[in-house]
Amino acid sequence: MANALQADAITVQFGGLVAVNDVSFSVPEGGIVSLIGPNGAGKTTFFNVLTGLYKPTSGVVRLGDEIITARPPHIIAKHGLARTFQNIRLFGLMTAEENVMVAMHSHMRSGILRTLLKTPHQRREEAQAHARARELLDYVGVGRYASEYARNLPYGDQRRLEVARALALQPKVLLLDEPTAGMNPQESAAFVEFVRRVREEMHVSILLIEHDMSVVMRVSERITVLDQGQKIAEGTPDEIKSDARVIEAYLGKSGVEGGR
Amino acid sequence: MARHTSIESTSNRRWAIGFTAAAAFLFVLYHWIVPNSPQPVHDFVQGWFSNANTNEMIVYIIMALGLNVVVGYAGLLDLGFVAFWAIGGYVAGWLMSSFLGNFQINIFGNPAPGLEMGIHITFWWVLLLAGGFCALWGIIIGAPTLRLKSDYLALVTLGFGEIIPQVFVNGQDINGFNLSNGTQGITPIDPIKFFGFRDLGPFDLDYKFVIYSVICAGMVMVSLRLRSGRLGRAWLAIREDELAASMMGVPLMRTKLSAYAVGAFAGGLGGVVFATHINGVFAERFNFSISIIILAMVVLGGMGNVWGVMVGAIVLSWINGIGLQQLGNTINTTFNTDINFPSFNFLIFGSLLILMMIFRREGFIPEARTRLVMHEHDRDNEEVQ
Amino acid sequence: MTGAPGRSAPTIDPKDLTLKISGAIIGLVIVLWLGKNFLYDPGQFLTVAIQGLKNGALYALIALGYTMVYGIIQLINFAHGDLFMLGTMMSAFVITTVLGQSSPGPAGYAAFVVALVVSMAFCGGLNVGIERFAYRRLRRAPKLAPLITAVGVSFVLQFIGLRWNGSGQKQWQSVIPDGQINIGSVEIDVQTIIIFAVTIPLLLLLTWLVTRTKQGRAMRATAQDQDAARLMGINVDRTISFTFALGGALAGAAGLMYQQVVGTTAYNLGFQLGLIAFTSAVLGGIGNLTGAVLGGLLIGLIQGLNDGLVYGLGQQWSQSVVFTILILLMVFKPAGLLGKNVTEKV
Repeated sequence: MANALQADAITVQFGGLVAVNDVSFSVPEGGIVSLIGPNGAGKTTFFNVLTGLYKPTSGVVRLGDEIITARPPHIIAKHGLARTFQNIRLFGLMTAEENVMVAMHSHMRSGILRTLLKTPHQRREEAQAHARARELLDYVGVGRYASEYARNLPYGDQRRLEVARALALQPKVLLLDEPTAGMNPQESAAFVEFVRRVREEMHVSILLIEHDMSVVMRVSERITVLDQGQKIAEGTPDEIKSDARVIEAYLGKSGVEGGR
Repeated sequence: MARHTSIESTSNRRWAIGFTAAAAFLFVLYHWIVPNSPQPVHDFVQGWFSNANTNEMIVYIIMALGLNVVVGYAGLLDLGFVAFWAIGGYVAGWLMSSFLGNFQINIFGNPAPGLEMGIHITFWWVLLLAGGFCALWGIIIGAPTLRLKSDYLALVTLGFGEIIPQVFVNGQDINGFNLSNGTQGITPIDPIKFFGFRDLGPFDLDYKFVIYSVICAGMVMVSLRLRSGRLGRAWLAIREDELAASMMGVPLMRTKLSAYAVGAFAGGLGGVVFATHINGVFAERFNFSISIIILAMVVLGGMGNVWGVMVGAIVLSWINGIGLQQLGNTINTTFNTDINFPSFNFLIFGSLLILMMIFRREGFIPEARTRLVMHEHDRDNEEVQ
Repeated sequence: MTGAPGRSAPTIDPKDLTLKISGAIIGLVIVLWLGKNFLYDPGQFLTVAIQGLKNGALYALIALGYTMVYGIIQLINFAHGDLFMLGTMMSAFVITTVLGQSSPGPAGYAAFVVALVVSMAFCGGLNVGIERFAYRRLRRAPKLAPLITAVGVSFVLQFIGLRWNGSGQKQWQSVIPDGQINIGSVEIDVQTIIIFAVTIPLLLLLTWLVTRTKQGRAMRATAQDQDAARLMGINVDRTISFTFALGGALAGAAGLMYQQVVGTTAYNLGFQLGLIAFTSAVLGGIGNLTGAVLGGLLIGLIQGLNDGLVYGLGQQWSQSVVFTILILLMVFKPAGLLGKNVTEKV
C-alpha cells in the first residue's frame, strides 16, 4: 500500500543533544498509526519536524509524493497535513465557526480587493465556506456552539472543534497530539470511535501520539515506539504488548513513574 | 446561510443610515444653524465644538481606524504610525501644489490662479496615490521586521516614526534637491473641487466636512468588510495564536504585511485629508506623541472594535484639540486660577494608557472578543518540552 | 529558520546569501568611510572618536537598564529613557539648587558625589515603584499590555519633567573643570576622563553584583526560567525589583553625568537618549550585559564620527543614522552582536 506520509532517517540535534536519532516512520494511506514512548522520548520533537516547525538535522519527510522537509508550516498545511495540539490551541476569541473557517484560508481565493468590492465570486466563496464550516461543526457534534467563542466551549468539545478545524484543511493526513489527554475513560472510548469514523468518512490517514495505552491499543493498526530519541520497536498492538524492549522502556528502570 | 447574510446586510444598512444622519446633522449645524444663531450660541459652538476641530476629528478617526487594523485586528504594535500621516501629507504637498516648480503637470487638478506651476492632480487621485505610496512604505518597512518578535516590531516602527519626520524637517537640501521645504513646509495646497461647482479653500470647512465624511465612511466600510472576510479571520487568528494560525495554513508574513499595508494606506488617506484641511504640510507637526495619541484612541475604544475606536478618536481628538484648552480656560476664569491645562496632555494620555491597561484592557466599548483576549491573564506558560 | 542547528546538507539558502552579501557590502562601505576620514586628519578623527566614546559610556549605562529589564521580564521598558531624564533634573536640583555649587573645587566635587548617590537612589527607587505599580500586575498578560503601559509610564514621567523643568531647555553650571589634555594632536576633555572614572567602577560593581552575589545569581536564574527559579526557592518578585533598582540606579548615574557634562536639562531628553540606548542594547544582543556596554560604546562612536567628521552627514541626521542602524540590525542580525537566537516551542 502507498504511504500517505513517510519520514526517512530523521535526526534532530539541539546543540550537542540528540533529540531524535535516525528515526524512519510511515503512515500508510487510510491507516491509523500511533507513536508512543515515555516522556521525553522525542515524540513532540518528531511531530514538530513533520509539521515544519523544526528543521531536521538530517532526513526527509514526504507527504504523498511531495517532499515537505523544513518547508514553512502553512505550506505543509496546504499540502494536506493537519494537526491538533496537545494543549488545545484554538483561536479562543473567535467563534467556533470562524475557527473552522480560518483553516479554509489556503483553499480560498478572495483577497483584499474582492472582499472590499464583495464580488459575486467572493460572496459565493464566503457562503460555501460558511456552509462547509456548519457541516463540519455538525459532523464533529459541536454544531450548537457555532456562534460561541471557542474558549467558552466545554473541554471535550474544544477537542472536537480542533478536529473540525483540522478537517477543514481537507488533509490527507491528520496528526492528533494526545487527543484524549484530560478525558475520562468513557470520553476516551467515545473519542476512539470518533477517530475511526473520521478515518472512514473523511478518507484521511491518522497519526496519533498518545499516552493512554488503552486508547492506543484499541485504535491503532500499527504502533511505533520511541525511547530516548530512538525507535525501539514497531508493529501491531499485539506485537508491541509483548516486546521486551518496550516493556523495559515503560516499566523497567523508571517503572514507578512510567506506569501512570 | 441566507439568515446570516441578511443579518449582516441589515446591520450594514443601519450603520450607513446612522452615519449619514450624523454627518448631515453636523453639516446643517455648521452651515445654517450656527451662522444664523444669536452670538452666544455661535460663540459657544465655535468655542467648544468648532468645525475646524470636527474636521480634525475626522482625520483622527481615519487614522485610528487604520491603526486599528494593525493593532486591533492583527495584534501588531505599531508605535510610529505618524510616519504614514507625514508621508501622505507630503504626497499631497508634492502633487497638489506649486511646490515642485520644475514641472508643470495638471491632471484634472485645480490650481489656484497664479499657482499653475508644479504638479496639480485631482484630490481623489492623490488620495489613492498617497494611500498606495504609504502602503508601499509599509511593506518596505514591514517585510524585514515582521518576521521578528512583535516587541521588536514596536521598536522598529518607533524608529521609522522618528526618521521620516526628521527626513522632512531636514529635507530642504538633500544633495541640492528640495524634498520638503524644511521647517517652512509646503503651502498652499490646491483647493478641492466640490462636485464641480465650488473650490474648497481653507475656509470652506463645512463643505470639506462633507468630503471628509465620505472618506471616513469609506474607511469604516473597509474596516467592517475586511474584518468579516477571509483576511479578517486570518488577522484575528494571528492575534489569537500565531503558531496555530500558521499550522492551519495562514501564511504569517503575507497576512501580517497586508494588515500593515492596509493600516499604512489609511494613514496616507489621513495625511492627504489633513493637508487639505490645514492647507499645507508642516514637518514639525509630525511627532511621536501623535503616534501615541492615535494608539490611545484605539486602546480607549476597545481594540478591534470599529465603533469603539471611532468614539475613542472623537473623544481624544476633542480633548487634544480644544477640549482641554476650553475646560482650562473655563476653570481658570471661574476659580480665578492660572493653571496651564494643555501641559497636562502628557499626564492625561499617559495615565489613560496605564490605567486602561491595568484596569480596563478591553476598552470602554469592548468588542466582546477583545474583552476576553485582554483578560486572558493566567494563560499558563506554554508547555515546553 | 535561523534557529535550527545544523543543516541536512551544505546547501546554500539564496535568502541567506543575499543577506550575507548585502551585509558585507554595508560593512565595506563603513570601513571605506572610516578610512577616508582617518586619512584626511588622523588627529581630528581620534578627537572625535574619543568624544563619541564619552557619549557611548552614557549610552552604555542606560542600555544596561534596558537590557537587564528585557532579560528578566522580556519587556521593552519605554520609560527607561525618561527615568534618565528625571535623573538629570534630580542632579541639577541637588548640586545647584540644594547645595548651591556651580564651579569646580572641593565643595563642588563633594556635591557631585552627593548628587551621584541621591540621583542613583532616586532613579532606582522610582523604577522599583513603577514596576510595583504598573508592570507587576501585567506580568501574565498578553505582551501588548505591558508594552502599551510602558509607553504610558513614559508619558507620565515626561509630564513630571515638564512640570519640574518647564517646557524649554535649562542650562546649568558644571562642577567639573573644563580643561583638556593634549596627546599629540588628540584632545581629551577632563569631562571625558571623569565620565570614565565614574562609569568603569560602576560597571565593575555591577559585574560583581551580578556574578558574585546571591541576588545576582537569583537574577540570572530568574532570567533563564522564572518558574524554575520560583521552584528553587527564589523570591521572583524581589529579584525583579532588584533588577529594576539596579537599572534605575545606572540611569541615575548617567543622568548626573549628562547634566554635568552637557549642562542642559529638558523634559523630552529621555525619549531620544532612551531610543539610542535601546538601539545600543539591541546592537549588543538584548539581555546580554557585556553586549549592552559594547553596543553603547559602538553607537556613541558611530554617532560621534557622524557628527564630527568632515565626511559625515552632520548632526541633524544623527538620529536617523542611529535608527537606520537599528533597522539594518533587525534585518541582518536581530540577535545582536553577542546574542543568540531562540525558537518558539509548541
